[in-house]
Amino acid sequence: MWARILNTILGLWVMVAPGIFNFSEAATDNGHIVGPVIVTFSVIAYWEATLSLRKWNYPLAVWLLLAPWILSYTNTIAIISDMTVGILVIIFASVSGDVKKSYGGGWASLWQKNPDHIQKAKN
Amino acid sequence: MTKDAQMIPPGWDYNPATWSQRIPIVILALIGVLIAGYLSLYQLELIDSVWEPFFGDGSVTILNSRISHILPIPDAALGAFGYLVDAVTGVIGGQGRWKKMPWIVIVFGLAVGPLGFVSVMLVVFQPVLFSAWCTLCLASAVISIAMIGPAMDEMLASLQYMQRVKRSEASTWKAFWGVQSEIEKVN
Repeated sequence: MWARILNTILGLWVMVAPGIFNFSEAATDNGHIVGPVIVTFSVIAYWEATLSLRKWNYPLAVWLLLAPWILSYTNTIAIISDMTVGILVIIFASVSGDVKKSYGGGWASLWQKNPDHIQKAKN
Repeated sequence: MTKDAQMIPPGWDYNPATWSQRIPIVILALIGVLIAGYLSLYQLELIDSVWEPFFGDGSVTILNSRISHILPIPDAALGAFGYLVDAVTGVIGGQGRWKKMPWIVIVFGLAVGPLGFVSVMLVVFQPVLFSAWCTLCLASAVISIAMIGPAMDEMLASLQYMQRVKRSEASTWKAFWGVQSEIEKVN
């Protein structure tokens, strides 16, 4: 849980940092778009049944590592901020949580040939 | 007791369709109706000003933007309707509705989940387009995000149920709409 809370805070940071440090336009727009999406995925992953959404933050974090170069940021703080957050989000998104309950095989079951809930239903 | 046990989906530890699971989501949705309803009153010019404690002209800028009036009805009214759908589909059905009426659970899940995500993104992209923030729009986004996680477990139970239906002799179509005779054929 702590890892997903930290990613939520990092997402909020990405959202507000452009306003605090007067990032250039491209960096600002990027933060305003990517930040809230990171927040959304991290918060949804607070719940066990949707814990796997933590991994949806990987592509966003990788984008934060690339964005300063692709969008040619001019502000050093913007580059450092996005790169640091990108690395941290990857680390925290990789932290799994305790899954205490069972969910009939979870979302993966929907694509499995013989998922847990079908086996249990036969008993 | 045995009836309660039957309501727990196979391979699960709990029933995701109990009232204690659903009521909090419905309350959040109703708060969403109030917030979005209030904002749409302003957009429909039924009230003259809108509450904005933090961002100065932010709310006014966003609520009067061209994008917010791109449809025949203002976007906040659309949001209020969306939250109403969430609340109504959250309330309908008993505690076994994940199998007794899969259609309502799946409509509920789609309204809260993917549609909720889209509406959050629409709210959030506003600063990109108009360089302004709107306190109550952000509040409604927070509500939408908070509803998604707790709603998805029930959706999963219904989707797994439909998966079992599909592999049984029961009619997928009838089971989806909750026809009793088909429901009884599947665990």
